[in-house]
Amino acid sequence: MKLVTAVVKPHKWEDVRQALETFGVTGMTVSEVSGYGRQKGHTEVYRGAEYDIALVPKIRVEIVVEDGDAEEVVGLVVTAAQTGRIGDGKVWVSPVETVVRVRTGDRDAAAL
Amino acid sequence: MKLVTAVVKPHKWEDVRTALETVGVTGMTVAEVSGYGRQKGHTEVYRGAEYEVALVPKVRVEIVVEDADVDAVVGAIESSARTGRIGDGKVWVSPVETVVRVRTGDQGAAAL
Repeated sequence: MKLVTAVVKPHKWEDVRQALETFGVTGMTVSEVSGYGRQKGHTEVYRGAEYDIALVPKIRVEIVVEDGDAEEVVGLVVTAAQTGRIGDGKVWVSPVETVVRVRTGDRDAAAL
Repeated sequence: MKLVTAVVKPHKWEDVRTALETVGVTGMTVAEVSGYGRQKGHTEVYRGAEYEVALVPKVRVEIVVEDADVDAVVGAIESSARTGRIGDGKVWVSPVETVVRVRTGDQGAAAL
């Protein structure tokens, strides 16, 4: 199995979720995070003082999927989250060795 | 080393922590997250308006452990987080290549 982690623009999360549900993803974990990428922190002036706005709010989405689904899930997230402007986010895939459903103790594919 | 990630019911976190301390886990990272699983968003009616309650609050626990401790740690989380009802959460295990303790630069098992 694979863990697909996506960091996307907050207003794109609903689109990402719909795309994943259409594909058949049955669950995900979502958290509010902050980050920055290549554009680095841009500087903003507020009441005469200069501030570095280094951390842009993002939504992090985590989904554990079967190996064969990882590539398609990544493609769906990218298509759904894309605006074409800076800050669209990133998606990455890591290996997962075991998954357990806590309620039943089901393992691996049965636990997804 | 392995990264054990658990997404559990918020009120079970204290039990999970106690169980992990019993098996010798010396630290963990905890975050408030939201998510949903197979039950999908259930619909709720509040003051006559229908709301889709898709995202259930959860606590995410992350622990890096030595390979030999994975089974004990996953087992401790499973038994302490289980209520037997839907929404008990998931636990997954991924490989970790390097761990560094920032203060000292210790690497690998010494950094845990």
